[in-house]
Amino acid sequence: MRFLIVLIILIMGLTGLTAPLLAQPADVQTVTLVNGMKILIQEDHNIPNVAMYFFFRIGSRNEHPGTTGLSHFFEHMMFNGAKKYGPKQFDVEMEKSGGNNNAYTTEDTTVYTDWFPRSALELMMDMEADRIRDLSFDPKMVESERGVVYSERRLSVDNSNFGVLFEQLGAAAFIAHPYHWPVIGWPSDIESWTMDDLKAHFRMGYAPNNCVMVVVGDAPAADVIGLARKYLEPIPRQEPPPPVRTKEPAQLGERRVVVRKPAQLPIEMVAYHVPETKDPDDAPLDVMETLLVHGQSSRLYNRLVDKEQLVLSVNAFRQPALDPGLLIFTLQPRSGIEPARAEKALFEELQRIGNEPLSPQELRKAKNQLLADHYRELKTIAGRANLLGVYEVYYGDYKKLFSVEATIEAVTAADVQRVAHQYLQENNRTVATLIPEAKPEPPAGPAKENRQ
Amino acid sequence: MTARLGLALILACACLPGQVKLPPYTRQVLPNGVVVDLMSRPGVPLVGIRILVKGGAESDPADRAGLAGVTAQLLRKGTSKRSADQFSEELDSLGGTFQAEQGFGSQISPVTPVSGEFLKKDFDRGLDLMADAVLRPAFPEAEVSKLLSQRVDAAKALKDNPQGAISAYFQAFFFGPGHPYGRPPDEITLARISRQDIVDYHQRMYCGRNMIVIVSGDFDPAVAAPKIAEAFGGVAPGKAYEWALQAPFRGGSDLLLIDKPDATQTYFYIGQPGIDRKNPDRVTLLLVNTLFGGRFTSMLNEELRVNSGLTYGANCQVQEPRLAGSIVITTFTKTETTAKAIDMALETLRRLGEKGITAEQLTSAKAYFKGTYPPARLQTADQLAAILGEFEIYGLGRDEVDDLFSRIDAVSLEQANAAARKYYKSENLTFVLLGNAAKIREAAAKYAPKVVEVSITKPGIALQ
Repeated sequence: MRFLIVLIILIMGLTGLTAPLLAQPADVQTVTLVNGMKILIQEDHNIPNVAMYFFFRIGSRNEHPGTTGLSHFFEHMMFNGAKKYGPKQFDVEMEKSGGNNNAYTTEDTTVYTDWFPRSALELMMDMEADRIRDLSFDPKMVESERGVVYSERRLSVDNSNFGVLFEQLGAAAFIAHPYHWPVIGWPSDIESWTMDDLKAHFRMGYAPNNCVMVVVGDAPAADVIGLARKYLEPIPRQEPPPPVRTKEPAQLGERRVVVRKPAQLPIEMVAYHVPETKDPDDAPLDVMETLLVHGQSSRLYNRLVDKEQLVLSVNAFRQPALDPGLLIFTLQPRSGIEPARAEKALFEELQRIGNEPLSPQELRKAKNQLLADHYRELKTIAGRANLLGVYEVYYGDYKKLFSVEATIEAVTAADVQRVAHQYLQENNRTVATLIPEAKPEPPAGPAKENRQ
Repeated sequence: MTARLGLALILACACLPGQVKLPPYTRQVLPNGVVVDLMSRPGVPLVGIRILVKGGAESDPADRAGLAGVTAQLLRKGTSKRSADQFSEELDSLGGTFQAEQGFGSQISPVTPVSGEFLKKDFDRGLDLMADAVLRPAFPEAEVSKLLSQRVDAAKALKDNPQGAISAYFQAFFFGPGHPYGRPPDEITLARISRQDIVDYHQRMYCGRNMIVIVSGDFDPAVAAPKIAEAFGGVAPGKAYEWALQAPFRGGSDLLLIDKPDATQTYFYIGQPGIDRKNPDRVTLLLVNTLFGGRFTSMLNEELRVNSGLTYGANCQVQEPRLAGSIVITTFTKTETTAKAIDMALETLRRLGEKGITAEQLTSAKAYFKGTYPPARLQTADQLAAILGEFEIYGLGRDEVDDLFSRIDAVSLEQANAAARKYYKSENLTFVLLGNAAKIREAAAKYAPKVVEVSITKPGIALQ
């Protein structure tokens, strides 16, 4: 993530709804430029703004020991000057034209997200083309940006109990596949990338044939296509990143990691290996996660948070992935509750899903929740631009976004039971626990005051 | 029950180029005082119901901070006709949402917002759930003690999140215990709340003259209006909450140092007095702040991040609540560069006050404000409902949106620089630092004549 400010959260927030929706595949126009860049366009004239997203198929899975975190670092470098628009100019020109931006990197992709008034469409095409084709590599900028990225790591990992534990969990759950290392990179790698590493990474990842562009909003499709042909089409194609050969071997038994850190409350994360996003088990897994943790009537909330009061919160998390990834449950045990006790209740509930039949009412409830949430994700032009890209890249076809209702409806109780039985196995899980470090309590009494 | 007043239909003007307009909506007042705003926005088949109860965190008793929020969270935990489990089961079965949590910024909220969202086809059942929770909560003893103990643990867990914790510490230190914005709920104030406090609070505050119902999204207002009047028309009118006209705030030149020995970076806030929502300088100040600390190319982010790599991000926030809020610089940097980053932030602040901004910068800020406003405020039914709520709370009219762009255009360079001088002072600043005190204590002492130090493990947030 490039930066966090409140406005971005407002824009990205999935709270609200917009006008002409429930689009059909026909509403999306697609073009593939001669250099291989695919473009998806959906017009929406509700507000005079445009969301333009670039999905590059390069992320931490394309890195190697010694260069971990390079994709994310590159996400930052893309704002540090190119041939026509020099250092700072991308942001200066964009903000001056009423636009703003962000970017995010995952294990699989690096995504650039531009939001701007329709009047800035040509400027944005020009600036994006400039940096995709002719990024500059100023050594001073590289050093300064290293500091920024290290600060981001300190914020989101080193000084965050959830961040530290999540990193340890991933590193333990994957021993061979590149999902083993964190997207932000190991500290020693952040400190040691070389200019050659950067240049090679740029050539490999930032080719038009390795990119999907999505434009949603108040921009006529003909204009988008015309400008894309003018600015983006002349950029030459490159050799795409080599395929990721390493496959994670099957896990042969439970793995455990412990992190000791000063903390008020423990945290426990439990991860199970699950297939990649485009696997048919994606939808049954969605339904299973929903009935486990979505809403206060969900099985895990009801038992762990409400009835037995073992944890403050329980969540399930599975992000889009090109290769087999993880389903992660996160528990925050209440004060005085041993993580082992909360964990036992979790495991019992997970086993119950696989062993007991699912009632039609519970299945219906989960499907209704998924469907309503799907609509919620479609409220904003930013939300739709992101989903179109995610479906194109991770599900292999943006059109699958328009059959989500049918996909959810097709899931049967037997499917849910089957995936629970198949993946929620002891041998397939990794457990990471953050245990608060015992520290002497400070003396009671009023705050200490020092006067000069 | 029918509406006392006819529906006052407010028509949207034709959009002028470069202007934005609020979509049409209706406003009516039920005989018992409940205000009902309806805005139809067909599209995704969802409809939002937002109920605002005047008072909010401002109405918390001084020693029981969190009462308004806890009351709101308990609304769904059993009503006169549904148990907590039945409520959750029904809500989830509809794919609906129900939010009454006090989220970020709730400490300065003059209302308690309770909102739900349902599929269009489930409007009647959604309305019934919302009205049942808001008007007929039973506050079962077991649910009350459960929620309070959860909230106490959550307050403790806030200390594990330095960014969240410093925000709460800043509110307490800057505004002080005499001010409603200076009393963030913590494990000490929450533990003092009893069931009777909650029952009394609900009885007193959730009344007709204190309630605003805003429905927005995909629904038919003509069909919905009588149903809403039926659902909310029977509430006792009660007594409208009287917001305090002012409150004494602590402010002043001092520094709070929160010791977290394992921190490898220092988080810091530098605050000074700002404006209330109705301040005539508001738009001008927001433009100046855009340039100073409100966007990526702002002066603060440029200096501390882009030019020096000291931080992942530096910004300045203008709180604009009902009473005057703060203008506060926030950032973080590795422990070793704490003083360097603070000095740089202060130097940037001094430069704004002394040199002001240029005409070119002002033009850029205006374009940025106007370009980012529609996606942030006018795009979704929820955003629009939030605007209608602000109209009701602050007594604003639709010109607030319809004339916004012309008000932005009208701001002159002289006005902007006058606001820069008036609001961005370099004296009497309030500092809050969170980090490894052993390593930054000495450096911190030079920023204020008085330093207060507290361990992050000390229970509570407020200074006793």
